[in-house]
Amino acid sequence: MKKFLLKRIIGGILSIIAVVAIVMILIYSLMNRQLIFQSDPLYLKKLSNDKTQYMYSKWEEYGYLDMVNYSDYMITQLRDGKITQEVFDSTSYPRNGKITSDTTKKYVDEFKKVYTDKGYTIIELEADMMTSGRKLKTGGAAKLFAYRDIPVLKRLGTFFKSLFYSDNIHYVPEEDNIGKRKLTFTLHDPAFTEYDANGNVVSKKFAPAILGNGTKHKYLLYFDDRFPYVHQNFVKLNLGKSYAINAGVDVWETMNIPQGKNKMRMVTYPSGLREESADDLHTATYQKGSLKTNIVYEERYLDDYTNTVTLKQGKSMVGYSFVIGILATILAYVLGLPLGIWMALRKDKLVDKIGTAYNIFILAVPSLAYIFMFKAIGTSVFHLPRVFDMDDPGKLKYILPIISLTLPSVAGLMKWLRRYMVDQMNSDYVKFARSGGLSEGEIFRKHILKNAMIPIIHAIPGSVLGALVGAIITERVYTVPGAGNMLTDAIGRYDNGVIVGLTMFYATLSVVGLLLGDILMAVADPRISFDTKER
Amino acid sequence: MIPVKDELYDISDLGLTEEELFAPVSHDAFDSEKITAPRYSYWKSVFRVFFRNKVNIVALAILVAIVLFAYIYPHVSHYDPMANILDSESKHLSPKEAIDKFGLNTHSVLGTGAAGQSTFDAVWYGAEISMSLAFICAAINMTIGILLGAVWGFSKKVDMFMTMIYQVIANVPGILVMTVMVMLFTAGFWTMVFAMTVTGWLGLAYFIRTQVLIIRDREYNVASRCLGTPVLRLTMKNILPFMTSVIMLLLAEEIPSYISYEVFLSYIGFSMGTKTISLGRLIEMTQSSMMVPGWRLEFWAPVFLCSLITLVLYLVGQNLGDASDPRTHM
Repeated sequence: MKKFLLKRIIGGILSIIAVVAIVMILIYSLMNRQLIFQSDPLYLKKLSNDKTQYMYSKWEEYGYLDMVNYSDYMITQLRDGKITQEVFDSTSYPRNGKITSDTTKKYVDEFKKVYTDKGYTIIELEADMMTSGRKLKTGGAAKLFAYRDIPVLKRLGTFFKSLFYSDNIHYVPEEDNIGKRKLTFTLHDPAFTEYDANGNVVSKKFAPAILGNGTKHKYLLYFDDRFPYVHQNFVKLNLGKSYAINAGVDVWETMNIPQGKNKMRMVTYPSGLREESADDLHTATYQKGSLKTNIVYEERYLDDYTNTVTLKQGKSMVGYSFVIGILATILAYVLGLPLGIWMALRKDKLVDKIGTAYNIFILAVPSLAYIFMFKAIGTSVFHLPRVFDMDDPGKLKYILPIISLTLPSVAGLMKWLRRYMVDQMNSDYVKFARSGGLSEGEIFRKHILKNAMIPIIHAIPGSVLGALVGAIITERVYTVPGAGNMLTDAIGRYDNGVIVGLTMFYATLSVVGLLLGDILMAVADPRISFDTKER
Repeated sequence: MIPVKDELYDISDLGLTEEELFAPVSHDAFDSEKITAPRYSYWKSVFRVFFRNKVNIVALAILVAIVLFAYIYPHVSHYDPMANILDSESKHLSPKEAIDKFGLNTHSVLGTGAAGQSTFDAVWYGAEISMSLAFICAAINMTIGILLGAVWGFSKKVDMFMTMIYQVIANVPGILVMTVMVMLFTAGFWTMVFAMTVTGWLGLAYFIRTQVLIIRDREYNVASRCLGTPVLRLTMKNILPFMTSVIMLLLAEEIPSYISYEVFLSYIGFSMGTKTISLGRLIEMTQSSMMVPGWRLEFWAPVFLCSLITLVLYLVGQNLGDASDPRTHM
């Protein structure tokens, strides 16, 4: 068993890596890069050389290539102490592109040589002059920069190397003076402690927490009143960053950040100030020098851990998708299995025929069509909410999306369970059991159902995990703010980071779902064994 | 049947000699091995079983009518999806209003859409494109899928390699592959065909491979191989006839699935370009009418026609598949 599991897990990881590699090739190498500018207002405004430079810098931002400006190069030289401030000032690249001084020429040549040796392509844009030949056109200043496409293998390596981020006390740069770097353990979480005007503790609550100084997150381990009640920030999943959908925010966070209106409650800030706010102090992360720049922060915080996430009333994208998906899955099994059994028992009778007709309808008709039909019937006959309003506290809004997801899966379950059961009914061992004098009920329960359920059991983990992915059409039709449309949104907006991150997430879910299915099947059916038997 | 008395021959009328009439026949070892069976024609039996069911006749008739209408009517109606209709009072008309305004003809029976265009014309225009897409994609995918699937199932070396590829590609989100293909080339009908077939055959090939695996090592095939039947003959005479009904069933699910998939893709915004108005694009364009109460035909007409086409195609295919299984010919 162990050997089998190990083999499967390694195989799964390899196939995930291959999937991510294929997706990277698809989006970074095959797709037309020009497309990302289609709906970029800044791009339209930029002119001449500025436009070219803007394009490269945007491509760098979206992860297509590495780009180095001549000026960036000189700044690093200055920072490393290789050149003096005077040299730096006198060697800037001339706007008209005509290099007159020898020192500038020396450094420009050096820049070109260094980056050509590294495999970069040098782009030198000549000044774009007006027809009169005196003045520069708008954005026509000469440019010098180098770029290099990131090779697929390197990109893949970086992605998987930084997949897990572990927080440590050396996260904050050494030059930042933040006092002693350490981890502290406390039994009384300061976020739950209240002070009076003199700074004396009024009340405190027993809540163990680990706090860090020098780490990215202030709270590394804490308890609160939200599911799953104990949270950790030691190891975080890093699926890459989003550019277009949720600029600069981690993909994983984009999926899991709550949405909707702010959830206000009394908060005691580290400075002792108490006020109604939606800030979740447990999510504080380090933001260099933020305390001194902002009076709002100075009144509330004592250190640079000021970057908090606000609490929201709604669920996250994955949250909504999962709630709807898991309820639909449970409902589908609760309805589908008895119906499938009923159909098999009354084979070729009326029930079986109605069930088959329903299956054909679901299988043949486009899902979009019947979801719209369910919606039209649900809203006009039963007066259920037409769209999914996050801020509406009622539960009625969940009904139609859940039904729209349940009814098709019921059809699938009915069809397959009926098929498996009918196959079992005609098998020799059932005839033998009957001739041996077993009652029909006994044959049915102990033989037919048990055997027919095995392939059904195999699919359960997959469908439960599949609920996390969300449903594209249902969520669109009812405007559910779920995770189902993240991939299509990301594709539509060329958010490459999100596409890669999501693909990795989906691939992992499918691999894990299959593995869990195999294990569950082996548990349910003693005949299935993954051990290679010695003969 | 025993002839009636009048039809009985008098052998003396034949004018034959005694030897000619009654000659002893020698025992023929070859002839004695022959077994006479009732005449059996495979395809005749298929259609006999298929037409025995009244539902099939109705479904086939509807299917033929839809296909003919979808391929002829758009060329007669001269529907132009890009036409600019200036009459502001011809927009969003119900069938009754349209008939009052334009008189009772094919253009007005379903009312008009947001741009003042005839819904009936638009729906059939879309049906032609959607069905062509489905037929072409199914033809390409089935051909590649069956041929490669057969090789995949037969050769153990190919099996190892292809299964690995399949496991990886099956995990790459299909929408991503499609969109990258659509973005690589300009959006259009043939780009969509390419996008749907570039990885679409893989699932079919895998299915065929499993079917081939199941029957490859059956006794009669092993016996055939022992007797030295060449692989090609084995495939053509032993395996493929066995697979006819499976392939028919597969086809029954494939063709409607392409229509559905195209609807899905159009709905989420990956269509065949703005000029190719398929049924899916028509639904996507008119779905805003769902926001107002009532049953707007400009939206429900394409939904209904699309459902009808897929349903009828599925029914006919499924039952033809059942009928092509020789076990039902008894």
